[in-house]
Amino acid sequence: MGMLHNLADLIKVKKDKMTILVLGLNNSGKSTIVNHFKKSSEQVAIMVPTVGFLVEQFYTNNVSINAIDMSGATRYRNLWEHQFKNCQGIMYVIDSSDRMRFVVVKDELELVLQHPDVSNRTVPILFYGNKSDLEDSLSNVKIAAALGLEKIKEKPWHICSSNAISGEGLDEGVQWLVQQIRFAVLSNRYGAKITKHHK
Amino acid sequence: MGSFRREKDEEEDGPTNAYQNLEKTSVLQETRTFNETPVNARKCIHILTKILYLINQGEVLVPREATDCFFAMTKLFQSKDVVLRRMVYLGIKELSSIAEDVIIVTSSLTKDMTGKEDLYRAAAIRALCSITDNTMLQAVERYMKQCIVDKNAAVSCAALVSSLRLAYTAGDVVKRWANEAQEALNSDNVMVQYHALGLLYHIRKSDRLAVSKLVNKLTRNAMKSPYAVCMLIRIACKLIEEEDIPAEELADSPLYTFIESCLRHKSEMVIYEAAHAIVNLKNTNPRMLSPAFSILQLFCGSPKATMRFAAVRTLNKVAMTHPAAVTTCNLDLEGLITDQNRSVATLAITTLLKTGAESSVERLMKQISTFVAEISDEFKVVVVQAICALCTKYPRKHTVLMNFLSGMLREEGGLEYKTSIVDTIITIIEENVDAKESGLSHLCEFIEDCEHVSLAVRILHLLGKEGPFAVTPSKYIRFIYNRVILESPVVRAAAVTAMAQFGASCPALLSNILVLLGRCQMDPDDEVRDRATYYLNILNTAKPELYKNYIIERENCSLALLEKALSEHLHGDLQTHFDISVVPKAAIVKPEINNDVMLVTSSAPRAPKITREEESAARLAQLPGIQVLGPIHRSTPPIQLTESETEYTVQCIKHIFGRHVVFQFDCVNTLSDQFLENVRVELTLPEGFTQCAVIPCLKLPYNELQTTFVIVEFPQEVCFSTATFGATLRFAVKDCDPNTGEPDSDEGYDDEYMLEDLEITVADQIQKTKKTNFQVAWDAADSEEWLQAEDTFVLSAVNNLQDAVNTIIKILGLGAANLSEKVPEGTHLHTLHCSGTFRGGVEVLVRAKLALSEGVTLNLTVRSTDQEVAELITAAIG
Repeated sequence: MGMLHNLADLIKVKKDKMTILVLGLNNSGKSTIVNHFKKSSEQVAIMVPTVGFLVEQFYTNNVSINAIDMSGATRYRNLWEHQFKNCQGIMYVIDSSDRMRFVVVKDELELVLQHPDVSNRTVPILFYGNKSDLEDSLSNVKIAAALGLEKIKEKPWHICSSNAISGEGLDEGVQWLVQQIRFAVLSNRYGAKITKHHK
Repeated sequence: MGSFRREKDEEEDGPTNAYQNLEKTSVLQETRTFNETPVNARKCIHILTKILYLINQGEVLVPREATDCFFAMTKLFQSKDVVLRRMVYLGIKELSSIAEDVIIVTSSLTKDMTGKEDLYRAAAIRALCSITDNTMLQAVERYMKQCIVDKNAAVSCAALVSSLRLAYTAGDVVKRWANEAQEALNSDNVMVQYHALGLLYHIRKSDRLAVSKLVNKLTRNAMKSPYAVCMLIRIACKLIEEEDIPAEELADSPLYTFIESCLRHKSEMVIYEAAHAIVNLKNTNPRMLSPAFSILQLFCGSPKATMRFAAVRTLNKVAMTHPAAVTTCNLDLEGLITDQNRSVATLAITTLLKTGAESSVERLMKQISTFVAEISDEFKVVVVQAICALCTKYPRKHTVLMNFLSGMLREEGGLEYKTSIVDTIITIIEENVDAKESGLSHLCEFIEDCEHVSLAVRILHLLGKEGPFAVTPSKYIRFIYNRVILESPVVRAAAVTAMAQFGASCPALLSNILVLLGRCQMDPDDEVRDRATYYLNILNTAKPELYKNYIIERENCSLALLEKALSEHLHGDLQTHFDISVVPKAAIVKPEINNDVMLVTSSAPRAPKITREEESAARLAQLPGIQVLGPIHRSTPPIQLTESETEYTVQCIKHIFGRHVVFQFDCVNTLSDQFLENVRVELTLPEGFTQCAVIPCLKLPYNELQTTFVIVEFPQEVCFSTATFGATLRFAVKDCDPNTGEPDSDEGYDDEYMLEDLEITVADQIQKTKKTNFQVAWDAADSEEWLQAEDTFVLSAVNNLQDAVNTIIKILGLGAANLSEKVPEGTHLHTLHCSGTFRGGVEVLVRAKLALSEGVTLNLTVRSTDQEVAELITAAIG
């Protein structure tokens, strides 16, 4: 069975594109992270605040990823929910030096998790504790505690600290996310097969 | 029957429209497909097409539906399909005005607009500009600037045109892009150059000096793009018209020299534009016109139908202003009469009709009648207008023309076409006494079978006015009464009124009319019954003076102001009687004549027609303390108190009330680095006048029109009420930053600016009225209450009767009755009848007998209910 999984893995999932959603408050570094993954020829030198959303495409870990980079500004946060339905994974970016707004980060995260399009599905969530190079940045553990991540039981999640400018820590996170999405896709398919057998 | 068959044909032939039976709800349901991953491009394109089709067919999406659809559409940005993306842009543009939160696609569009895919860029710019509002514009400004100077022509054009659109809502931001537009002006691409000029002109439009600099610069180094040159010609023309250069100087002016040089341009378009511009200029002389007309003449013989059409149309338009010059092209026009293009032929014939000799009228009319049935309504109207002009020119030809018009009336045609024919017939009747009888009978026949209510009502009104004075009034009664039996309530009511006119003016018919009106009292419609009862009662009293006041000469007050006066009366002291004479009479509002030399006209819808008095009443009502002045008597047209190119421009409108005058000063500050505060006008008052109040304008920023008022009371004696006022504009100046308009500091200094003197004349105080039957009113005024003043003058300044009549009407501001303002040619004696209402509701009747000897001798008789007013008016002429 394990062999079969790997085979399916090789044939199916690699062909598929993955759609992930990039969320987080404004000025947390979402667009910069997405920019880092793009080919060097397509990268932009100056980052400006995103208005609305951007759709970017990049290739990493043998999958092509469609990243929907949402704007983090307050007035556009209500747009996030429009994209929940068709995403396979969420990348949640946190400015680890911005302690003042951890409360806001927590509130927004809870809203995301409570939304019916997210709570009823197994969507892997990757947290980036971004701007880890800054002096007053918090460690992974402290962020997880501050946000109460341990309460998330029914979804796989992972947190890693990152530095979007140098690229440090980014690849590790994405690798995890890709793996989880693959796994989720397979288990869905497997589940579907089982129910079929039952009938 | 004919239309029936045509419908059937349409069903049978040709492939049916695949989108014909779309339903909005089901199409909106289909937008769910947009959410699928991966995106199915072909399917989505099809759905988007359906949505666009629906919107363009006039289907209305409510904001909720549009927003849902829009959000679904944003998902499609994930697809790389080029065609789909371009459809998405179109969708965004269509939905941008209805859906909410459209700005969320800003970043996505900005990415496409700066990206590498050229196919996306131009369309993305256009979509972006349709969704951006003022606040977001700052964010995309940098990209817009880059795109304006982009080397790809399509991108640059899109950016320029979009900027032009944005300039209407966000003028200040777009103004900052002038440097980029200037750079784009040097582009090699014809379209880019054209659009860049358009944008630059729009940015500088309000600053005349900058425009003339721009034009001067561009006229010196020739531009490549013929479109841009055409545009430049139009701008140059506008400058010439604004500066109002007299003909002698015009020939040497650089602007004119430029237009003239364009007559030798290699592009036909530019040559035509230049010729068109020159023949439409106001101040020209034959020497300047001749090259332009020879160009048009040349185009008349062009093998291209468009060139022939353009030339003939231009000639047709200017046939009345430059008849002599157009006559030189007559030979070429004759050749075009048989042109296979009907539009060209129609225009050629009508031009010839306008300029041709009397002898050729019949021949040309015969030529027209061969194909008048084949041309469209729009051109038929052109024919009718030509006939109208012809009638004024050759009154003797009225039988031919009238027959032709009545033939046209009987044919099929739209309301506009029919209206123009009826207008023409009415004009002929008014101007030519001989044509009256036949004209009226043609119109009578027409209303027998007329589907347009408005026209029927107009004709019935005319019959009521003119019919009683015809040779046999009785023959019209049958036509009118037929309407009462057969038509809709509105027409029936008009017919009842018309009948009553006959009853009042023809004693012989009175008994019959009474019987007919009695029958109308059984009418099912309230209005018709009410009118019949009203007229019946008045006619039964058998008192001719009542007829005069309540049937023949109905007071036509301005309804809006009457309503206002009545409601004020109800709120006030009910002991006094309501005085209707203080309500201003409804003036006849003339439609504005649009000068279409400059085709860049504003798209704002034309304001509904209201009289100046109604407009100002609404405005003045907001002033404190205005109520005590009573209802407004009249407002004068604005006069300029400054030169047009000064630091501050001020124009004045005088609002005359019963005992007061309110001066309204409209001020514009044209200095961008000044912010004015507490702006007011100081008047030096002549003796007898007292100043009641000054209402200053608190803030006057750059280029905004603000208003300040001064209220002055007239002297007790009417004879001192004409006077001259000195005026000075006083204000506090604060220096400010030209870009933001914010004052630099709180400190300012007082300054003043001299204005030209103001005058209050007799004409200002008189509201003109139009008596349809002056003689009746004049005779009735020969009683105790009326006072008369009489004087004789010799007018040495004028040397013909028409000029004298015009001067008298202008000085007194009265309305002439019974067409007495037109002096027939070749007479030495003329009597002018005119009437009006002086402020305070004093009626004025004037009879002026004129005799032409050396100079003009004038015997002026004024009848008025107030002695002082009568004297003031006689004094005004001297």
